[in-house]
Amino acid sequence: MLTCITGGYVIDPPNRRDGIGDLWMENGRVVTAPASGTAHATFDATDRIVMAGAIDIHSHIAGGNVNTARLLLPEEHIRFDPRTAGMPFATAGSSTFETGCAYAAMGFTTVVEPAITPHNALQAHLELADVPIIDKAILTVLGNDDYLLALMRDNAGPAHIRDYVAWMLDATRGLGIKVINAGGAAAFKENVRSFSLEDIVPAYGVTSRRIVETLQRAVIDLGVPHPLHVHCNNLGLPGNVDTAIATIEAAQGLPLHLAHLQFYAYGRDGARGFSSGAPRLAEAVNAKTNVTVDVGQVMFGQTVTVSCDVLRQFMARGQANPSKWVIVDGDSNGGGIVPYKYRATDFHNVVQWAAGLELFLLIDDPTRVFFTTDHPNGAPFTTYPEIFALLMDRELRAETIASLPPAAIEMTSLAALKREYTLNEIAVMTRSAPAKLLGLADRGHLGPGAIADVAVYAPDKDKAKMFRQAALVFKDGELVVRDGKIVQYRFGRALSVRPRADRTVESRIRTYYEATYGFDAALLKVPDGAIGRPDPFETVGCNG
Amino acid sequence: MSAAVAEAARLLAASRAPVIAGLGTDIAGARAALLLADRLGATIDHMHSATLLRDLDVMRETGLVLTTPGEARRRGDVVLLVGDGLAESLADVWPDLDLAALPRPTKAPERRVLRLTSGNNRAERTDDGPRTPTARTDVIDGAGASLPQLVAALRARANGRPVRTPAPLVDTMDGFAKILKSAKFGIAVWSAAELDTLAIEMLCGLIRDLNARTRFAGLPLPPGYNAFGVLQACGWMTGYPMRTTFARGFPEHDPWRFDAVRLVDSGEADCAMWISSYGAEKPLWRRDIPLIALSSEDALSPPGAQVQIAVGRPGVDHAGAHFCAKAGTLAHFAAQHETGLPSVAAVLAQICNALDGIGKSPC
Repeated sequence: MLTCITGGYVIDPPNRRDGIGDLWMENGRVVTAPASGTAHATFDATDRIVMAGAIDIHSHIAGGNVNTARLLLPEEHIRFDPRTAGMPFATAGSSTFETGCAYAAMGFTTVVEPAITPHNALQAHLELADVPIIDKAILTVLGNDDYLLALMRDNAGPAHIRDYVAWMLDATRGLGIKVINAGGAAAFKENVRSFSLEDIVPAYGVTSRRIVETLQRAVIDLGVPHPLHVHCNNLGLPGNVDTAIATIEAAQGLPLHLAHLQFYAYGRDGARGFSSGAPRLAEAVNAKTNVTVDVGQVMFGQTVTVSCDVLRQFMARGQANPSKWVIVDGDSNGGGIVPYKYRATDFHNVVQWAAGLELFLLIDDPTRVFFTTDHPNGAPFTTYPEIFALLMDRELRAETIASLPPAAIEMTSLAALKREYTLNEIAVMTRSAPAKLLGLADRGHLGPGAIADVAVYAPDKDKAKMFRQAALVFKDGELVVRDGKIVQYRFGRALSVRPRADRTVESRIRTYYEATYGFDAALLKVPDGAIGRPDPFETVGCNG
Repeated sequence: MSAAVAEAARLLAASRAPVIAGLGTDIAGARAALLLADRLGATIDHMHSATLLRDLDVMRETGLVLTTPGEARRRGDVVLLVGDGLAESLADVWPDLDLAALPRPTKAPERRVLRLTSGNNRAERTDDGPRTPTARTDVIDGAGASLPQLVAALRARANGRPVRTPAPLVDTMDGFAKILKSAKFGIAVWSAAELDTLAIEMLCGLIRDLNARTRFAGLPLPPGYNAFGVLQACGWMTGYPMRTTFARGFPEHDPWRFDAVRLVDSGEADCAMWISSYGAEKPLWRRDIPLIALSSEDALSPPGAQVQIAVGRPGVDHAGAHFCAKAGTLAHFAAQHETGLPSVAAVLAQICNALDGIGKSPC
């Protein structure tokens, strides 16, 4: 069926479109305008902005830890809105269904859940299967897993490591590899209470730095498009800007992605020993084109922090608000769930808020800085429209700054920053650049052949309003949102890579699991038939 | 089966306040049951909700420090068993608990097992055969003191506080407390089937206290019938655990109001569906109610069921994903031998089709 979105202002940087025109779609893909013939359906986008569907590279929306957060905080998602007809659980607070609806309403069509331990992969994919409308993916967490650490301790060659990483990606249906406080969770099980880049994991004799380098090398060698996705050591601690810069240096010019950089943008200046290190960090990022980052913006309000960085979460337990928390010493990383409330009157929280915005505004290249709140850690993803507005409107920033404690703002450079993001830069940061970073050639743009994921917005002086409720959203060429309201459920796919590797590694892994954990590692596998929806996966090609 | 499906749909369509209970099913069955409940405005409950909610209540009041069976097995150098009847569940979760050597990378001390029992209804561990070497096991036999009292006294002594327990018992308690505090990675094992919420909270408080200086984690034993798996599916689909209703078009959770037994016995529910695909569990309510039973074939159907539909056992008669006690997570299991018996999900899909057919369209 031929569909045309007519007369909209199309912003599609990779295809150099920045002006009024039509967009044609057929069979779920963008097509060139047919020489003749008429569309079966047309949608008038006059005075509207047309962009590709947005892609979120880092948002915790599924998996055992997220589900524990749901069950830990029932009081946080009480709702009283009956759902729309034919849309089960659409108004069930924090549910997978509400998640898909809320993302789609903002024009997001692909979301990556960035922290799934192998142990939790099946549950994560089952949860994602119940997220309607959007496509999704997981990043598989390695780096605190005993099998890897044992290989490194025993000086196994890169081929062994590569085969293991490939097996885990294949078993868990991951799109890439994430490492979280490399070695820190393993060290915490040995009662270590602080862990940095040069620290050694007890009993294994390997440093955090070596774990990062080893995984980075394996990911590159396997041709996995998404670079190693790194959650650095020392998250949230004053002075941790040094850790982040050291990690950037450790990348040695090779591709590396640093997640939620805002949480590492802290200096020790000022009377309280806590200041923004964002300018220094942005400078380091600007100087290293091999490095990409996402921000992890903080916004004020109630949230819950959910992380596989068990050590950090344990150390933050005293700040739990409300005062309850869960720590899981899981196989490999485990996780920690600590509710938290960011307050606009809190010195530290205001510095965090400003540091995130500084990173956005001081990192020059919008293809290397990605738009995230590390949902829900910095703020729920539903705050995205407000953040877009802050980035695009310096007056709004000035008004907000004026309402915040000056002592905190003075520990940052935010008040002096005049940059305003253009719609074109927003399109790069939230569409084309994430697609490139994840190796998704047919997403993030509107050229012929692209998946027909399209978001249409009504421009408004209030940028938050514009992005909060898309005028129209198409997923695979089908209308799914009109005026911010979901018009139909459909269920997307999970994107995963399946790198080639020596499969004989499987028997070694299974033997190890049986001896160590007492169960068969084949149980970690996520077969298509387990998901309960047709064609649940889409394979993304590896390089080389 | 088509007549049974049609009759089930008729009963459900005629009901004003249906309850879907038992819920002993795999993840696919749980997802289908939740969708059916949402469509009907029904209430959902699991046969082991009461047990599950004790642990969950502690979590959502104060939080927990937990570990997985795999890590417990690998690292647990001190294992505190709290309860009189853990043997059966432990055999599923941790069959070789009594092995002395730890498969952990350090030169760890050998495993030490501490048992806290009230001395009532004590069930001894059943061993499959001799294993050597066996972990050293010490027992506090409460000699009539209740488990909550013993847990409270142990926590008090671990924190150096006085207790009104008889002196010989206090000495043993102190010995236990010393071992707990010297653990490298201690594990506390309990079953909510035999501890009340306050005792579990006390035990979890002890675990939290111990983590101030060393590492210690809880390993609550899961109830059967995929209770933990169904809890997970309820959590992600609705935001809430079982004992949740969809009567008003959005989920509402209340552990007392939406207890299936109470709903049926009080007359608030007017139709029940009972799902038990793993075995012969039967509902505990006493009132007669229009009843649709989906049970595994070898199970005797509940008396008085208007509709009985035989379903397969997940991972036996058909493939299915459910909570795997040994791995401590959801896992997918192929059929051991395909018998042709339908899954709960397949039967519920047919009932939904039949509801469409009689004009009870999705609301």
